[in-house]
Amino acid sequence: MSRDGYAGLAVLAASLVLFALTLDLKVNPMVPVGPGFYPRIVLGLTAVLSLGLVVSDVLGRKRRPREQPKQELNYTLVAISFGVFALYCAALPGLGFRIATFAYVVASSALLAPPRGLKGWAGTLVLGFATAFLSWLIFERYLSVLLPRGRWTDF
Amino acid sequence: MFELLGAGIVNILQLKYLVPLFAGTLIGVVGGALPGITITMTIIVVLPFTFGLEPLQGLSAMIGVYVGGETGGLVTSCLLGIPGKPSAVATTFDGFPMAKKGEPGRALWLGIWASIFGGLLGAVFLVATTGPLARIALQFGPWEFFALFVLALSMVAGLVEASLAKGLVAGALGMIVTILGNDPVMGQKRLTLGIPMLEGGIDFLPVLIGVFAFAQIMSEVERMGGAGKAVEAVDRGVKLAVSHVKVIWEILSRPVLLLWSTFIGLVIGVLPAIGGSAANMLAYDQAKKFSRHPEKFGTGAPEGIIASESSNNANVAGSLVTIMAFGIPGDAVTAVMLGALTIHGIQSGPLFIVQNATLAYGMFAAYIVAHALVLGILFVGVRWMLRIVDIPKAALFPVVLVLCTIGAYALSNTMSNVYILLVFGLVGYAMVKFGFPLAPFILGVILGDQIEINLIRAIMTDADPWLFLTRPISGTLLVLSVASIAASIWQHRRQMAKVVAEVDADF
Repeated sequence: MSRDGYAGLAVLAASLVLFALTLDLKVNPMVPVGPGFYPRIVLGLTAVLSLGLVVSDVLGRKRRPREQPKQELNYTLVAISFGVFALYCAALPGLGFRIATFAYVVASSALLAPPRGLKGWAGTLVLGFATAFLSWLIFERYLSVLLPRGRWTDF
Repeated sequence: MFELLGAGIVNILQLKYLVPLFAGTLIGVVGGALPGITITMTIIVVLPFTFGLEPLQGLSAMIGVYVGGETGGLVTSCLLGIPGKPSAVATTFDGFPMAKKGEPGRALWLGIWASIFGGLLGAVFLVATTGPLARIALQFGPWEFFALFVLALSMVAGLVEASLAKGLVAGALGMIVTILGNDPVMGQKRLTLGIPMLEGGIDFLPVLIGVFAFAQIMSEVERMGGAGKAVEAVDRGVKLAVSHVKVIWEILSRPVLLLWSTFIGLVIGVLPAIGGSAANMLAYDQAKKFSRHPEKFGTGAPEGIIASESSNNANVAGSLVTIMAFGIPGDAVTAVMLGALTIHGIQSGPLFIVQNATLAYGMFAAYIVAHALVLGILFVGVRWMLRIVDIPKAALFPVVLVLCTIGAYALSNTMSNVYILLVFGLVGYAMVKFGFPLAPFILGVILGDQIEINLIRAIMTDADPWLFLTRPISGTLLVLSVASIAASIWQHRRQMAKVVAEVDADF
């Protein structure tokens, strides 16, 4: 099986689990159809379609064109970037928007292109400061859009 | 209609609307010119800025981004050979060779003027058809709306470049997002999976922002760190001056090409979630097929540039028709606009133009005025635009993700939407890696609730399920859905047969 087949199996499993959960939903006497009616249609349809994907993957193996040599991709950098963003999301309520954003932009920018020398680091720090300060200024002061305030820092 | 449009233009020329429209157009031109940054990404970045504005101010800024982005992409296509966005790919085929032959100004301005003409012809269609189409849609009952949304979803799933099965699964996955949390008819809790933040359901905007922003940014991040490909650009100090009368005549002396390419752009725009990337390729292909000298395409033929650029700008008008008349987003950009409307408490759909005539005609006016602004911006800043590609992505991406976070957080001032953004960022990236198209997924997320509401309304009005087929409009739309899927299967099989033949022939 190729990645299509595995993806189909994952979707099939998820839709069957959710389908099973809809069987516990209570029917409301006020309406002719309960809250599980539509989810069952959607999940049933998804299960059938994902099964179709698995079957077509298994049957279509011979017909699949030869794969081209792939470009080398930096998945480690992607995983770390997701991790840094997840840390940013976790830090926002505690540290507040300004501190968390400064730290995130500096960390993420340094991760994607490590700064060279003092000038490089100064540029990265300025970018972090400018992003945190300007976005706070524009959104909170001029557009009246509230941004997270830190529980620990009150900033 | 023309009185309302005139009033709309006067309205939009007031400073309080003109400033956001200009800012949006400028950001759109810059975003469109940046390779690796799509218009969807640019509009997602602009979205949080619109929260504190009036609806027309916010929507003007977004329309500016859309129009500016479509035109901005051609600058780097013509002068650097790098399409700024997918809908400018076909422009590169002839724009860059023409520039390399020593006519960069001609290549550039042919594209810009063709964009303007295509866009303005699209404006005629937009203004003339939105009202009548909305009036037709007003006759629809829940059966027809259900069938219309099913048709939109099946067409998107069938027309995407990936396999039909993956398109359909992606659409179904999008609909699954809408069944988590609560039942939109009775507000009863369902499938919360024990997660409290799911109890109110999932807003579609953080899903859309997460899926598109992360899918694109992480796809760029995975290529970072390697040796970069050298860009074979034209000399950046080259003269871009050109006789505009000659260039305009060069376009207008090919009226059939201009009209046909514009028509293709409009039709692709009206069809949900296909977008300018398909429009410019299709228009280019048609221009080549109908040309007396198809062999000249790819070597700097003006027809190639005109076809590609007029179609991708007309595509914007087509997408706006679909969202304003039916409430169905024509593409990801209009899906974000739909979100902006929802934030301001405005219901899109057939009643939109009747209940919000000032806003609707203001949007038409913004679309028309944006073209004049694009022209002005490019007159002044076209040379400066070449410097845009030098912006380091390592600086750009974190800033874009911060703005996405603000956009998600500001929807309800809670962190739950930020967590949803992160989760769907992972989902979006995984979908791209597994080859699932994003457009049907997003349309499923947007239309899922509406499909359910209309299905339940129809059943509550009359429990006879045959009504979906026996009511003429509903029945026709459902038959078209099946036909659309059948056509996709047929096309897919034909392509596979071709591939098998090629593989068998290759010993």
